[in-house]
Amino acid sequence: MSGGPLTAFLEAGVRTATPLAYAALGELVVERAGVINIGLEGAIIGGAFGALVFADTGSVPLGFAGAALAGILVAALFALFVVTLRTDQIITGTAMSMLGLGLTGTLYRTMYGSAGASLHTPTIAPAPVPGLSAIPVIGPALFDQPVVTYALYVLVPALAWWFYRSAAGLALRAVGEHPEAARGAGISPDRVQWAAILFGGAMGGIGGGTLVLAQVGTFAEGMSAGRGFIAIAIVVLGRWTPFGVAGAALLFGAASALQTLAQTTGWTMPYQLPLAFPYVLTLVLLASARARTAAPAALGQRSA
Amino acid sequence: MLTKTGRFIVLNIGVGILLACSSRGDSSPKSANSFKVALLTPGPISDQSWNGSAYAGLMRIKDSIAGATVSHIQTKTPAEFEENFRQYGAAGYSLVIGHGFEFQDAAARVGPEFPKTTYITTGGNTVGANVAAMSFSFDEPSYLAGIVAGSMTKSGMIGCIGGTEIPPVKAAFDAFTAGATSVNPKVTVLVSYIGNWEDASAGKEQALAQLGRGADVIFQDADAAGLGAFQAVREAKHAYAIGSNADQNAVAPEVTLGSVVIDLPHAFMVIAREVHGGQFKPRIVKLDMRLDVVRWTVNPALATKIPAAATHAVDSVRAQMLSGKFVLPAATGSK
Repeated sequence: MSGGPLTAFLEAGVRTATPLAYAALGELVVERAGVINIGLEGAIIGGAFGALVFADTGSVPLGFAGAALAGILVAALFALFVVTLRTDQIITGTAMSMLGLGLTGTLYRTMYGSAGASLHTPTIAPAPVPGLSAIPVIGPALFDQPVVTYALYVLVPALAWWFYRSAAGLALRAVGEHPEAARGAGISPDRVQWAAILFGGAMGGIGGGTLVLAQVGTFAEGMSAGRGFIAIAIVVLGRWTPFGVAGAALLFGAASALQTLAQTTGWTMPYQLPLAFPYVLTLVLLASARARTAAPAALGQRSA
Repeated sequence: MLTKTGRFIVLNIGVGILLACSSRGDSSPKSANSFKVALLTPGPISDQSWNGSAYAGLMRIKDSIAGATVSHIQTKTPAEFEENFRQYGAAGYSLVIGHGFEFQDAAARVGPEFPKTTYITTGGNTVGANVAAMSFSFDEPSYLAGIVAGSMTKSGMIGCIGGTEIPPVKAAFDAFTAGATSVNPKVTVLVSYIGNWEDASAGKEQALAQLGRGADVIFQDADAAGLGAFQAVREAKHAYAIGSNADQNAVAPEVTLGSVVIDLPHAFMVIAREVHGGQFKPRIVKLDMRLDVVRWTVNPALATKIPAAATHAVDSVRAQMLSGKFVLPAATGSK
């Protein structure tokens, strides 16, 4: 809470970007395998609920494990339909979003009653990094955050390395670009897509878990609040690269933080305006030729 | 391998089964002289606020009126409001409650199609042959909460956080501001809107921003999203929260000064008894402090922290409100 409005703005931006970055990096891997998972929202809300149930044991790490597990469960259902049964990706994804939101609501009321779970879920507090968190302005924003945020600083470069420097990463990209050629090279597109979708589910689940375990300290029905769809836009804005996606998540987080800060300073601008900005940018980018060349060639198509 | 159509059917059956598990209807079989009551909420009934309290009201009707059967559904869009109003009308429901002023247009449109069903919205001002509205004087207890907040603040800055900027919420914040200003003319009141009623994380961010600016009492009216505001206040440790709609004093008892309560079970029973007895006259049903439907409820755990002068001011204004002598400053209305 110290360091003036700029620091507060940056801190809020990183905080808001963290769950978005997890979900979007997961979706990035899924899309690089040629599958678009519109049902990411279902994995996020599933992860939030899984976090609540598992963290009730009193353990935050177990809560995150539960979040990832719940995300994987939702994703497995999606993979079963889309990869194994070859259903339409968009229709299936939409169904998964609705399923995730409806089922978590019903389970929540069944397990916790209509009075809800209250604010008793254990949370992780920010863990300032000695030295680095003292850097003026950006220090608190980047290095006075919960550990889940720091994990992203390792995950993003690791993912970039894995995409472009590992055989498995090459296989993933081959499936997303040209599944026939990948099959010719002895890769099973189905197996790669299954793995990618489960990874995406785990990441979406952790994103949802972050909302509960690092922010709110309880579950609320529908608390994913469209983050799954924002994450899909982030993947486009980030042009299907790990660093691009991380940057785009930060931009969405910053826009949200700007809107929050603007309201407390009595800014007369409508609060929806900064929130709309990243979407406008995404649309402009989508309309440009460069975006089309960046998208995986077989995205959204059924693998043969 | 399955055919294309086969796969589609498999998908639809699978999803259908799963969605059926998540459906929220709760209707019971017909009986000859049953009194059927339906409730449409705009949000989840687990919000410990506006929606949860309405559901408690529906349960009160079920338990208190012999032969009453009840049904609840959560709806989001105006198209869904109309659709569900129609379905309950067609199913012969006696009383259908649209929970929020946003249901009034749908009630006005569907009402004439099902003259035997009474449609009531909580909030709004639409009245027809079988369409009525409850009007809660939520601004009165909000004013009292403002007196407490204005007396308690050390920084001279307090905050209001709403779900979306709808007239009933704005009216409550205006009254809260007027109450705070009446005891503390220099107080600054920050007003922020989350943009929805479910995003508890965004609710927490709005509260963090207000706390960061120096606010030390936060009045939230944001349903489930408001839980995030409570969490932010809890973590801040030097600030207080004020609950709304339901008695939220137990949500975060260590930091909650009190709640601006609408006793929806009480309100629903007033209406349901009239409709059940056949003597209901469509009108705007004004439900205020005198009927004890709205009230300011101090959290007993923190009652000793509120200065005696503030408690005295609240009691004196409340007495004026109950005797009908108190007039709220202009620009405030009813919920």
